[in-house]
Amino acid sequence: MQNEEQKEILENEVKFLSKKILDLNKKLIESKKAETLFLSLIANNFNNPMTAILGMLPHLKIQDDAKNEKIFATIRQEALSLDFKIQNLITVAEIESGNSQNSYSLTDIQKIVNEIIQDLRYVIDEKKSKIEINNLLKSRIIIDSKKVYTILKNLIANGCMYAPDDATLFVELSIENSALKILVKNRGTLPKVNSKPEVFTRFSQKIDNSHGLGVGLSIVRELCENLCGSVDYDAENNFVTFKVLLPLNKTVQDSEACGWDEFLFESFDNAIEI
Amino acid sequence: MTNLCTNFIHVGQIHVDRGSTSISTVLGSCVAVCLYDKKLCIGGMNHYLLPFWNGNGLQSLKFGNISTPKLIEAMLEQGSNIGNIEAKIFGGASIYFLNSNQNIMVGEKNILVAKEILNDYKIKIVAEDLGGTLGRKIQLNVQNGKVLLKYTAKSDF
Repeated sequence: MQNEEQKEILENEVKFLSKKILDLNKKLIESKKAETLFLSLIANNFNNPMTAILGMLPHLKIQDDAKNEKIFATIRQEALSLDFKIQNLITVAEIESGNSQNSYSLTDIQKIVNEIIQDLRYVIDEKKSKIEINNLLKSRIIIDSKKVYTILKNLIANGCMYAPDDATLFVELSIENSALKILVKNRGTLPKVNSKPEVFTRFSQKIDNSHGLGVGLSIVRELCENLCGSVDYDAENNFVTFKVLLPLNKTVQDSEACGWDEFLFESFDNAIEI
Repeated sequence: MTNLCTNFIHVGQIHVDRGSTSISTVLGSCVAVCLYDKKLCIGGMNHYLLPFWNGNGLQSLKFGNISTPKLIEAMLEQGSNIGNIEAKIFGGASIYFLNSNQNIMVGEKNILVAKEILNDYKIKIVAEDLGGTLGRKIQLNVQNGKVLLKYTAKSDF
């Protein structure tokens, strides 16, 4: 009897506090509306011109002049860097609008890493970084390749950008307890934060100027969670290691998944109609 | 009804549709809000995991206070009038984890958020099946707004 009473008191307390949190949250969402609108505007309006610039750049004729060549290389690097940032903002806009659906296919993770290294060549060359890959995966795996590409690209880009010049970045790919484990380790330090979630928060006010805006890592966390996985980091002895775990069980590639989502719905016999 | 083309939604997704189709999902402590415009025969469903976005991370649709207003907006974008929309809500079971300390009444908070937000928008809740300890499979028929509900074994979600 006493337990019942205590339970009721606790439930009422939770209800009261939850309502309070909901009210405070409304104000928080309202205050962040401008940020969200800004992100979605950028995603829509910057992407097309950027795509056109990137498409036309390779067709520009370079005069036989070393100075022009250097200017051309700089423009190309800056365009690729800007495009990476725009693609991240588009990913944020997709996540926040609910248009980020998972799409599973048989994926060669090594190929994805190679593609990322190619796409990030401008940062890698600028920082004179070396990348060491330890691929312990024995075969291709079924996973959302686009999301894994975005996760890895952000971690590798951060690893290069916030490490000293001439540093080596280590990428390890393996399977641990039926999950894809990705480790990205680089020399460097993390922004000083009070708690880990702040590192994964976009536009966190507490992050110092020497680090990014937190957009890339907020995307990494969100995409990991979309794939039922997780991301965490450790920082010690001037090395930062990000660890991503993405579960592989229960995934079927979309091309072979005719109705797999509905397997639980084969029968609605004896279902209640409401 | 089960022969209708079904759109399955996962955690953090919303789907709004019209015509001869259905929307389905599987719920544990998550909550799904099903909205139906009986005049235009437009149906929509969300599926969220947690009650509140707390300012950390992105405003994704896995949070009830982000997802439910987005679902309502999506219905309005399809031409619905708020006065013609009615709601049915499901889920919010108390799922006990191996370590009971992890049970922090998520289901109850998810339910509360759904009710509060629908109340804010003055959308009437015409049916609900909430709480308990079992998961649920639900399917919203977009043609007529009826929902089929079946309880699941604990291993299904």
